[in-house]
Amino acid sequence: MAKVTIPIGPQHPALKEPECFIVTLDGERISHMDMRLGYNHRGVEKACEARTYVQDIYLIERVCGICSHSHSTCFVQAVEEIAGLQIPPRATYIRTLVAELERIHSHLLWLGVAGHEIGFDTLLMYTWRDREAVMDIFAALTGNRVNYGMNTLGGVRRDFTKEQLAEVLKVVDICEERTKYYIEVCTQEPTLINRLTGVGTLSHEDAMRLGTVGPTGRASAVDKDVRRDDPYLAYKDLSFKVIIDNHNDVFGRAVVRVLELMESYKLIREIIAKMPDGPVTVKAPRKIQAGEAFSRYEAPRGEDTHYVKANGTDKPERVRVRAPTMANLQSVAKMLENNNLADVPIAIAAIDPCFSCTDRMIGIRRGRGTGNSMRWDDLRNYGVKWYRKQGIDFTDLNRKLAKKQE
Amino acid sequence: MANEEAIKKELTDKFPFLADKIVIKRERRLFADVGQDHFREVFEHAAKKMDFVHLCIITGLDDGDNLLFIYHMARMDGTVLNVKTTAPKSNPVIKTITDIFPGGVIYERELVDLLGAKVEGLPPGKRYPLPDDWPANQYPLRKDWNPDMLEGKDGRKEEVKNG
Amino acid sequence: MSLLSKIVTWARIKSPWIIHFNTGACNACDIEIVASLTPRFDIERFGILLKGTPRHADVLVCSGPVTRQIKDRLIRVYEQMPEPKFVVAVGTCSCSGGVFQGCYNVKGGIDTVIPVSAYIPGCPASPAAIIDGVAKLLGSLQGKKPGEKADIEAIVPKPLEAEMANNG
Repeated sequence: MAKVTIPIGPQHPALKEPECFIVTLDGERISHMDMRLGYNHRGVEKACEARTYVQDIYLIERVCGICSHSHSTCFVQAVEEIAGLQIPPRATYIRTLVAELERIHSHLLWLGVAGHEIGFDTLLMYTWRDREAVMDIFAALTGNRVNYGMNTLGGVRRDFTKEQLAEVLKVVDICEERTKYYIEVCTQEPTLINRLTGVGTLSHEDAMRLGTVGPTGRASAVDKDVRRDDPYLAYKDLSFKVIIDNHNDVFGRAVVRVLELMESYKLIREIIAKMPDGPVTVKAPRKIQAGEAFSRYEAPRGEDTHYVKANGTDKPERVRVRAPTMANLQSVAKMLENNNLADVPIAIAAIDPCFSCTDRMIGIRRGRGTGNSMRWDDLRNYGVKWYRKQGIDFTDLNRKLAKKQE
Repeated sequence: MANEEAIKKELTDKFPFLADKIVIKRERRLFADVGQDHFREVFEHAAKKMDFVHLCIITGLDDGDNLLFIYHMARMDGTVLNVKTTAPKSNPVIKTITDIFPGGVIYERELVDLLGAKVEGLPPGKRYPLPDDWPANQYPLRKDWNPDMLEGKDGRKEEVKNG
Repeated sequence: MSLLSKIVTWARIKSPWIIHFNTGACNACDIEIVASLTPRFDIERFGILLKGTPRHADVLVCSGPVTRQIKDRLIRVYEQMPEPKFVVAVGTCSCSGGVFQGCYNVKGGIDTVIPVSAYIPGCPASPAAIIDGVAKLLGSLQGKKPGEKADIEAIVPKPLEAEMANNG
């Protein structure tokens, strides 16, 4: 069968420009995939060297808008380690609370996006509506829905009152109720199971070899979780399960994330129950003594690492950031081997890449060079229709879910 | 810190030249200074015989006359061994480690683009992360580079055509 | 009909279709734009639909500072849109470059590359701010003074038959 190469990239249909993913098809099956990245490269690491440590906290927070607290905490941990600062226990607990709330909002966001990619739009609407409860809590606790600005060198910038913490518990109760329902849907609806099983398969050996982290790795039985292996913040005092699954496919990745949501609810209750009293910040020097530190953090998407080198001034010598998506992108090519073209949107979405990475268009070049173009939305619709022909259709499920909520 | 001491001992027993080059910064963090000549054997031993099976990231930095490379390797128990090596700017050649860690290819490409390192054995592929029209011999992460050096490339505001 | 009335009629019947384009953002604004479509905020009650192609879009909603890689693409997307077209810069980064001002791969705000009709600051701009900004943009189409919001009743798309009966 003739091979067809399909470039998938943030390009306009009319232009020949560098693509993000280049997929080579053998009939309907993907035989090979290449990657070209860098569209969101802003030069943050270089910019960090020209700004003070405190300014860098705000810059680093905006590396990714979904796990902003992850990046800012990972960075500030490294700086505090170099400076030899011991932050007060209450600050540690507050940072941990925000971290788990961030995990909840991120996983709910992912559930919605995954639903959208397979045509299960009702799930998008419901999970994002539930997510709004968490966004409200963030706005009440930190002043912003995203990019909370909670961290400062030496602790956190705000304290939480007993009343605010009581509100958090109420929101957690609501979300837990809703998540139980999503777990039911994910694990028992045959349409969903059929759609996601066997898609984007990544064997355990490949996942280990390619350095896959986070829920993507844990769905292939890669037993890595920085919270347990390399404890930071308050995690060594908290008890939680690391969710490991061995489905090795997109279905497994969905299961891992919804079960992690349940663990996060338990963690938040434990954090609030155990939160010590006391100050929330210690005085930090403006100039940080020479030294280096390597900080790791379990962001919702996986292991986030920051390396910081200080040189005795008020600006860092070097800041090296590795977001979890970068570690997982290596495995996308492997995952999509021998999958169908129709599986591309959900397989890429299942590693939970940053949203802008999924904002793409596709150019299709047929064997003889005649051009034709498809957008990401069209590939998504193609995928939905293709699976409908195989008998996997979400129309009824959309309707059923909508009815249940009335 | 029995765990970290054991790692240090195993490395210095196997590689005596590392005797005073390994520092235990805190629990679960070791830093080792290895010259280019012996880098590969130390790295391979750590990856294959000491269970440092996860390469977190490779950090490249500008260290005056040299480029400094730090390979951050982790074990399943959370210990991180940071292996440092250098190469002079006049000949910034290092060898690839993608035969051991295939996922490291993107980190090595970043060293090439942003620091001007040359990685022997790096599999062919598209560059990362700079755009294709980035001027040659400009390495943003070098200390002697600043964004003004890009001025004049596209200084004039683009005329936008309507319709 | 004067040009202004033509635009008002167009806005009333057509209901603005938007294309969302990310020019190197951290995704916070993008998530908030999509969140404005979800039940809590529901921007579709303005008749606004999110489209995937510039050729059918009236409003280009941009987030993010313009990176070097994405600049040409942004210009092409803008050129592909038919007149009359409007550009909304969502978030501080699209307004001025935001925290990324001075970064080597960032050119600056959207208006360094294409003309912008409305600026919605915020880091990120919340869905409420986005709706507010869009309402003010639509207001300017109705001939209101800058900063005045649109008369929403006039924008809500009427059923086509009723509209045709009204226009005779």
